[in-house]
Amino acid sequence: MGYASTIKVPFGPQHPALKEPESFIFEVEGDIVVNVTARLGYVHRGVEKAFERRTYIQNLYLAERVCGICSHAHTTCYVQAIEELLNIDPPPRAKYIRTIIAELERLHSHSLWVGVAAHEAGFDTLFMYTWRDREEVMELLEAISGNRVHYAMNTIGGVRRDMPAETFPTVKKHMDSFEKRVNEYSHIMKTEQTFLKRTTGVGILKPEDAVSTCAVGPNLRASGIKEDVRADEPYAAYGETPFQVIVHGGGDVLCRALVRIAEMTESINIIRYALDHIPDGPVRIRAPVAVPAGEAVSRVEAPRGELIHYAKSNGTIKPERYKVRAPTLANIPSLAKTLIGAHLADVPLILAGIDPCFSCMDRMVFVDQNKDKQWVWNMEELKRHAKVERN
Amino acid sequence: MSAIETAEILVFPGLLFLMVLAFFYEWIDRKFFARVQNRCGPLFAGPAGILQPFADFVKLISKEDIIPAACDKILFDATPIFYFALPLTALFLVPIATQSALVAFEGDLIFMMFIFALIVVTVFLAGWSSMNRFSIIGGVRAALQMLSYEIPLSLAMIGPALAAGSLSISTIAQWQSSHASWGLWLQPIGFGTAIVCMLAELEFVPFDIPEAETEIVAGWRTEFSGRKLALFKLGRDFELVLASALITSLFLGGAQQVGVIPPIVMFLVKTIPVILLFSFLRGIFARLRIDQMTSGMWKYLLPIAILQLLLILFGVGK
Repeated sequence: MGYASTIKVPFGPQHPALKEPESFIFEVEGDIVVNVTARLGYVHRGVEKAFERRTYIQNLYLAERVCGICSHAHTTCYVQAIEELLNIDPPPRAKYIRTIIAELERLHSHSLWVGVAAHEAGFDTLFMYTWRDREEVMELLEAISGNRVHYAMNTIGGVRRDMPAETFPTVKKHMDSFEKRVNEYSHIMKTEQTFLKRTTGVGILKPEDAVSTCAVGPNLRASGIKEDVRADEPYAAYGETPFQVIVHGGGDVLCRALVRIAEMTESINIIRYALDHIPDGPVRIRAPVAVPAGEAVSRVEAPRGELIHYAKSNGTIKPERYKVRAPTLANIPSLAKTLIGAHLADVPLILAGIDPCFSCMDRMVFVDQNKDKQWVWNMEELKRHAKVERN
Repeated sequence: MSAIETAEILVFPGLLFLMVLAFFYEWIDRKFFARVQNRCGPLFAGPAGILQPFADFVKLISKEDIIPAACDKILFDATPIFYFALPLTALFLVPIATQSALVAFEGDLIFMMFIFALIVVTVFLAGWSSMNRFSIIGGVRAALQMLSYEIPLSLAMIGPALAAGSLSISTIAQWQSSHASWGLWLQPIGFGTAIVCMLAELEFVPFDIPEAETEIVAGWRTEFSGRKLALFKLGRDFELVLASALITSLFLGGAQQVGVIPPIVMFLVKTIPVILLFSFLRGIFARLRIDQMTSGMWKYLLPIAILQLLLILFGVGK
């Protein structure tokens, strides 16, 4: 084309489609996206450095706060890495409790996603309903752990609180009523024509692209690749719990929705099984404060996909190096494949399709590819920049 | 112009009454929409939040009016006034307090269609003049949307005119009430078409494409703030009143006198269910994409509208 036929549409750092600050600049030709530039790092919090400054017990609370939604997944991953370094095995009852909390967390995270996806598609009614019903799970988590978001259940060598047997019937009762709601969402998503029109064939991620861009979690499973850390490398009580890995072949946003909906049903079944088969016994064993020198990698299937924690110990009470690889970071490269060629109107749905959780994954990357240079701004420069922008 | 005529235009059923009605209908819409979604809706300003739309209006008027440096200043200033004035003008053509409208002449139905087109042109210009990428996309989408729903809407509006043998909205309404045969029963297909097109005109889900929040922020309204935004909001409320009033006049017999019940009561009784229908419909769908909307309108709605017209020509629904 001989003339400038594209306009650049910025999504973020502030945009209603993104609940967290992250910048995507779309080059749009008519209504079709021809290029996308992502810029990460708006909510970098220096968590990994903070890990190195705290003791192993203090880090438990820090790991909890890496993410506001999959807080349990992060602590599970953390304690598993440290338990491996300490060479201790938590009691079986603790493992079952970890599983129950993890699945409850998956339930509330997935129902949150269903609501967000519906909102991105302009289907606000479903959004309101899912978030209302999500409260049921949140209240259940509060009843079990004392908190709605940061459950603080995990500790090195087990869990901090036992689940009394008299709470089991309550949990089961809520699972029954929640299952009815999940079935209804499944029904709405499969039959509501406007929703189907917006999601079918949108943002297709081919299986080979999913593998080559290292996609994880429901994003990967919706492309027909059967990979789930819970099944591939069982941790907690997943080795003893029968469950299915949900896979869909289509690779579009609808499949991502259906995978998550089916996983919710699976989670409910896992919770029921775990409640029925939970062994008696202690919930924690004492762990030493200092951790012997060594390295450990721990993997957990967070609601958003495979979560990796790496710990390096030098024999003191603080880790020498700690690394968190959140699932969203692994899913970002696959976005580039799915976004190019999409309609502008489908962009929010595709972005939401990976269930992004930016603040868990942000890294400091200050590289301008166009000008091929790197720099860091201090506060004064930032202020000056703000003033120039205003005038 | 006599004092009574001036009072009619300024107070009842003119400007002041229509503003109150606009705020009231916005409250009904918001409250019912919220109840559909299992929310509370407006709650605190006035009983059951009935004053909330008015409170929003006052708040917006007192807010800072930010004008982007790059915008086309004349258009940017003028479009909010047009957007507020056009539906208001159109409302004078619809019978509200009496069986005949304040302004009624043979052919005002055509004038009404003209105003509907002008509203969308205003929207497009508003988006275009703000020089914002979201606004421009929103404005273009609004224009595209109009190109697809305007013809079915016009065809649906012509149906009752053919049945009544008049191009005056007041005459059509009077013909329906005197013959006791509403357009709804005579031409149900035309009624459905008109409702769908009005949803698109009002930019309600599933046709809120020009201001899709998660895609293009506030669409063509992104850059407007303060009293300009207040005028846009009020204009939207007038549009809501206009849409329900027009549906009432063309398909539900209009503001008719039933025994001792004055026309204004019948007008309210008939328009409120139309508002509830709009609110309900916008609660149960997801937003369509612009290409899906355009092709759907041309592929399905236009043939349906033509079918209704053919039926009338062959003597069914007349």
